[in-house]
Amino acid sequence: MKKNVLLKPGYALLLLMLALSGCSIGPAVQPWEKETLARPEMTFEGDPLDNKYTEHIYSSKEAASGGAGVGGGGCGCN
Amino acid sequence: MKSLPTKKTHALGAALFAAAMALPFSNTAFAEAAPERGIVAFKYLNYQENQPVYEDRIGVNAVTVSAMVPIAGKWSISTSYTYDSVTGASPEMYSTSNPEMVSGASKIREYRNAGDLSVTRYFSQGSLTAGTSYSEENDYISRGYSLQGSLSTEDKNTTFTLGGSYTADSIAANIEEWELAGRTEDKRTVAGAIGVTQILTKRDIVQLNVGYSRGSGYFTDPYKPFDYRPDWRESKTVMTRWNHHFDGVDGTSHLSYRFYTDSFGIRAHTFGLEYLQSLPNDWTVTPSVRFSSQTAADFYRPSPLVLPDYITNPGFRSFDQRLSAFGALTLGVKVSKRIAKDWLVDLKYESYKQRAEWCMTGGGDAGLKPFNASFFQFGLSREI
Amino acid sequence: MVIFPKKTLKTLLFSSLLCLSCNATSYALEAGSKAPDFSLPGVQGTVELSSTAGSVVYVDFWASWCGPCKQSFGWMNAMQDKYRAQGLKIIGINLDSKTEDAKKFLAQTPAHFAVAFESKGVTPKNYGVKGMPTSFLVGRDGKVIFQHLGFKEADREKLEKEIKAALEAKK
Repeated sequence: MKKNVLLKPGYALLLLMLALSGCSIGPAVQPWEKETLARPEMTFEGDPLDNKYTEHIYSSKEAASGGAGVGGGGCGCN
Repeated sequence: MKSLPTKKTHALGAALFAAAMALPFSNTAFAEAAPERGIVAFKYLNYQENQPVYEDRIGVNAVTVSAMVPIAGKWSISTSYTYDSVTGASPEMYSTSNPEMVSGASKIREYRNAGDLSVTRYFSQGSLTAGTSYSEENDYISRGYSLQGSLSTEDKNTTFTLGGSYTADSIAANIEEWELAGRTEDKRTVAGAIGVTQILTKRDIVQLNVGYSRGSGYFTDPYKPFDYRPDWRESKTVMTRWNHHFDGVDGTSHLSYRFYTDSFGIRAHTFGLEYLQSLPNDWTVTPSVRFSSQTAADFYRPSPLVLPDYITNPGFRSFDQRLSAFGALTLGVKVSKRIAKDWLVDLKYESYKQRAEWCMTGGGDAGLKPFNASFFQFGLSREI
Repeated sequence: MVIFPKKTLKTLLFSSLLCLSCNATSYALEAGSKAPDFSLPGVQGTVELSSTAGSVVYVDFWASWCGPCKQSFGWMNAMQDKYRAQGLKIIGINLDSKTEDAKKFLAQTPAHFAVAFESKGVTPKNYGVKGMPTSFLVGRDGKVIFQHLGFKEADREKLEKEIKAALEAKK
């Protein structure tokens, strides 16, 4: 029972995102409408070295790791 | 360097390898088009943790230099080098307030060298990246290889990514009996991930990543007495992110949520929110908050005070605070400024607090002392 | 363990893919088809495609926030200067939502060719613009010879060859 409750947010979000991935709300954004989206702060990349340090810290001080982008994972448990 | 098994303490240093696996991926994910310009960057990190009773806990100073260079409009090469030095002391077994056990903490000084290199080829509707990473400490070597591809729809509003990595780690603990026996242990990890990024509106973009990782080999902490963990670990992650731009105030919010579950029995929920506010004269201020809550590993033991039981009982066990149930809160602020046309400077401060009683689902180990840390970063980058 | 009911997952995946295909619908302008006319306000009066009949026209869709667009300006200036006498007309159609942004850009990066402002998105839709910048080479007969997406240093030579060929082609 407990397990299912815990899983719900992740599961619901996954479904929501899947749906969103195909059916974006409203009309598709045109190439000439991407002024804001072209700004660096709208990408998921962020500051790579900042991310590297913080992921590093969290993966060595917490049990969970990875998830952002592809790859990651690993232990951080030793 | 020789030391007694019970005196040598393993710290952040050797544990930091984990993120090295992520290195080959982190920089080039979801790049849709070849970059027009290259970039060179420098970043300094000071990490200092503290916990009541234990004075002089782990501190880390790290410097990283990185470069990304576009080539012929179709390729880019990224590389970085990191040097860490770790000093301080870490509790050996269990962070309790029991004064008799406090003596278990001992001083250490360790260094780490790490580097990574990746090459990306850009196509009209996608990209392919191959990367490798290497990290070395006196008791730990990690080598990683990765491959990642991205594919966009014709309108570039949707991007799919698929990636895989392989990491081989070699552990040679600084413990007399390991050294005498010439003992080394291995750990190999295979990971894969699939993701989709979707533009929703002119000012909204969302991303979903699903990841899987399976490692086999030595997961036990050789420096922690009575620590004994399974020889494999499987983990799954689901992560969603949403960036939104507020036109009126010219600010951008980054919202993220990650769910993590693994074969140790740990489940974690991690929420992140940061808000970037553009200000006049090329200043940007970014306050941020992160909260993470995790359950304990199935074999986490709340107290080692009944040691004889653990000695006679052959099952898996660990007293490692990182495998216990807790909640952790980070508050931070980052300030950056474009000091010249191509130059960017930034400063970041974060305060991190870990508390057993903050675990969302309860079950925290009341015997654990609160754990705090602060992270300070200084960065400088230049477009070339 | 995250376990998904397989059926639900399949349905969702399928439906999202279906939606994708709908969203991606656009009207590609093929080589040989008539270049759609436009009449837009410009830096110096109205810019119309129909008034350039008999010339080879290079129509470029750009925006002030697009990096490769800026790179292409130097090249387009050089092309306009070099081939004006042979009948080349370059028209840069700006697609910024705020025309002031385009004017600021032009003050820093002057254009030696005609610039028109289109903030409504009608013309790029007619041309089926799929990325920034996109350019179309229109022959003396008013028909599209080719279209080109993006701009890199490596494209300069290839594009100039195409322009030269179009200028030399018989009517």
